[in-house]
Amino acid sequence: MSSPTWDEFAELALKRITASGAEYGDIRIQDSTTEQIEGEDRRIASIRDIRDIGIGIRVLYHGAWGFAASSILSLEEVPRVADLAVEIAKGSASVALEKVRLAPEPVHCDRIVTPYRINPFSVPLEKKTDLLLSVMETLHRKEGIARSSASLWARRDQKLFVSTEGSHLEFDLLAEQGDCTATALHEGRFASRSFSTPHLRQGYELIEDADLQREAARVAAQAVEKVKAPAVDAGLYDLVLDSEHLSLTIHESCGHPSELDRALGYEANYAGTSFLTAEKLGTFRYGSPVVNLVADNTESETLAATGYDDDGVACQQWDVIRDGIFVGYCTNREVAPKIGATRSRGSNRADGWGSVPIVRIANIGLEPGSATVEQLIADVTRGIYIEGHGSYSIDQRRYNFQFGGDAFWLIENGRRTRMVRDVIYHGITPEFWNSCDGVADRSARRRYGFITCGKGQPGQSGWMTHAASPARFRQVQVIRGEGQA
Amino acid sequence: MTAANGKSWPHMTSREEFRFLSDLVFTRSSADHTMVSLHDHHAGTTRFANNQVVQNVDMRRGTLSVSVACDGRRGTASTTDFTAGAIQDAVTRAERIARVSPVDPEYLPPPDPYAFALRATAKPETAGAGPARRLEYTNEAISQCRMENLMAAGVVSSSMTAVGIAANNGLFGYEQRGDARFSLTVQAGEATGWSAAAHRSIDHLKVQERTLVAIKKAKSGRDVQELSPGTYPVILEPAAVAGLWTWLMWSLDAKSYSKGTSPFAGKLGRLIVDERLSLRNSPDHPDLLGEGFTADGLPSLASVWIEHGVLRQLAHNRFTAKTNGVDPIPTLDAPGLSVEGLPVASIQDLVKNSERAILVTNFWYIRPVNHRNLLLTGMTRDGTFLVEKGEVVSAVKNFRFHESPLMAFRQVEAWTRPMEAVNSEIGKMLVPAMVLPRFTFSSMTRF
Repeated sequence: MSSPTWDEFAELALKRITASGAEYGDIRIQDSTTEQIEGEDRRIASIRDIRDIGIGIRVLYHGAWGFAASSILSLEEVPRVADLAVEIAKGSASVALEKVRLAPEPVHCDRIVTPYRINPFSVPLEKKTDLLLSVMETLHRKEGIARSSASLWARRDQKLFVSTEGSHLEFDLLAEQGDCTATALHEGRFASRSFSTPHLRQGYELIEDADLQREAARVAAQAVEKVKAPAVDAGLYDLVLDSEHLSLTIHESCGHPSELDRALGYEANYAGTSFLTAEKLGTFRYGSPVVNLVADNTESETLAATGYDDDGVACQQWDVIRDGIFVGYCTNREVAPKIGATRSRGSNRADGWGSVPIVRIANIGLEPGSATVEQLIADVTRGIYIEGHGSYSIDQRRYNFQFGGDAFWLIENGRRTRMVRDVIYHGITPEFWNSCDGVADRSARRRYGFITCGKGQPGQSGWMTHAASPARFRQVQVIRGEGQA
Repeated sequence: MTAANGKSWPHMTSREEFRFLSDLVFTRSSADHTMVSLHDHHAGTTRFANNQVVQNVDMRRGTLSVSVACDGRRGTASTTDFTAGAIQDAVTRAERIARVSPVDPEYLPPPDPYAFALRATAKPETAGAGPARRLEYTNEAISQCRMENLMAAGVVSSSMTAVGIAANNGLFGYEQRGDARFSLTVQAGEATGWSAAAHRSIDHLKVQERTLVAIKKAKSGRDVQELSPGTYPVILEPAAVAGLWTWLMWSLDAKSYSKGTSPFAGKLGRLIVDERLSLRNSPDHPDLLGEGFTADGLPSLASVWIEHGVLRQLAHNRFTAKTNGVDPIPTLDAPGLSVEGLPVASIQDLVKNSERAILVTNFWYIRPVNHRNLLLTGMTRDGTFLVEKGEVVSAVKNFRFHESPLMAFRQVEAWTRPMEAVNSEIGKMLVPAMVLPRFTFSSMTRF
């Protein structure tokens, strides 16, 4: 006898939920395959092929949630999990003060497939390990490089979402990424420089198009230059931040505060709340008039553009910051009505079948301006150009932040001149974004994504992409991240 | 140690079942060396905010991982499907990877069989705790806060995990590990107070006691003043001490040490912190989360890492241990920090004896700024107070710090006995609350 299909398992669970008297339920069955290849110091340190299959069932009973999940897909286990989700929801309902009311959403029946040129799982493994070994050799060819790493990552998610409202959504999604890092030693100091492709919903063509060999030679040379560079002098500087660096700044200082569940206190015990509280919507000056931050979960190849979220809501585009004013949150069907919204923004995602979906940062990007990068730099007398990600930390309401970077160059009298090291800048989020007076044009726009955004208890990893053109910020406080020890 | 299976819990993979599964893998594998690891995890969490339940979840995930090696070429594949066909597929995938992998010069065969210690890692009360027990604790915390017109946000969680390791040279280990956690943030307007606990036994979470601590902190934080950033004496509560020491422990990697890319380069055998401080691994301690064995199939043993301020031990994998002649390989699954000398009785006594200091409940978002000297940054959170003339005089707005534990812990002025410390970003440690004479706060936030 053949095993039941996913649709049959889903039907079985739906019947149990409906029979329980619950007002809503949804079922996600997911089969994820992850391939991780990691190289370290000229060797392939690990190759892992991870299969993760299971079912997650969410039930809303008398206005309260219950969720149960299992990695066992069987005719015995699926009804047990469905009944457990109902039982848990009934327990939640017994202590509920305010009933959950879901924002309406049309019923959707659809199939979403990531387009790709090269299936990463059909590329011979030898080709990938050869590439990583060769990249690490290139890194070590530069005199002064003491350590190297290089890695490739690919993921395929096949998923079925069905709900008691009638939605039926099938997904077959891909994502890919690769990177390399060189660490240089000089007079007892060490410094690293990295290249990373963005995480994108593409096939292996992302790796082939990136030319890791060329990038390896560049970052090795820059790691050596960086370790020998002088430490920055503390003080006020104009900053020009590149797209990759800005992706993290946007993520931490705009993305998280724009999550409505945080603003409503849902994350008070862990990830924190938000200074962007509901009464600020539509009036609060978050940034200067050149700052336009747009959430776009419809842009192809980006991580949050999955067609529909885990509420079964269609992906959308909306303004978060328009002309510097805070105008929009990331929401789901549960929290959207709490600010009077009639529809969810479709930003509710779980990191797998075993997790309950929660509000997640959308693909929030900085809209391009009109200047070229050269023009941004030309108007700086004393500044620093920052590339890539470094140290980062921000308070639980997202006001006080601190960012480093991966590489830093002084800007002197309108020209990018020489490298410095140990640059750390810090500030208060709205003051910082109000100091932005220029964003480069669309030709300089790049996309970078995250797959390790931590939130929720139990912790989950969120995926999203942040696009930006380089931008300029005036008179930002820079300190020397060197310490005294 | 086996767990009592409560009615609401599905059957977890038993020792005998894991032996059957691993034997099945060995039968199917044609590799020189084959290792199997089991992680069968069943967890439930009740999450609350704004004084009501916002999330109530139960999850069971069983994972079987197969690692094979032939002539130093290795591959690993895992599955969450324990049927014979899926296990055969995992073996096939691991072998396919190993066949085309380059030879790993650092590969070592599985460790020799070892009679792992039988530790009390599984508590029947934790195994038997289901949604009802978690809801009971949740209601206890929320009710206390409601009575005070305060807002509660937090979690109650409990889990059981069947963990196994086996190799085709006879290595075999299996144990069930329980874990129960409670954490609570109390909001009193703009002010917040926090407390947390983690234990093998759900009976040891001390929910009422922790709730009262968080409530007291939140209420004490209502009157807040701004204090200029700068260098202050600090009284660090255990969670704050543990946050800094966690990064210190994560930076003890032996390979980085040998390559010159460690903050401890050249410091093995030398004084790195106050000479009264010692860091030990104590897997048998009943209040720590010690384990019988590691994911690599090594025994978890009592060990000394820092002794009287001197760095005695680095974190080795099996390759660096072999290269450096380290045997047995120390683990840090149950860390405890202690100070030699006479402790004061309580944190309150540290306050009483302080002329002027900042009392820090916890740190948040600690990240390295400079790996060369372990300079860290982070924020104070959920209860930061000014202490003057032996009393807490007011709350202060939260600070960002820039400090290296290698500098901050060079001198400890006063301390308590070690206490349980846990927060959202670390595991669990036993550490004293401490008074440090100099700690650098570099900026302030708006609350």
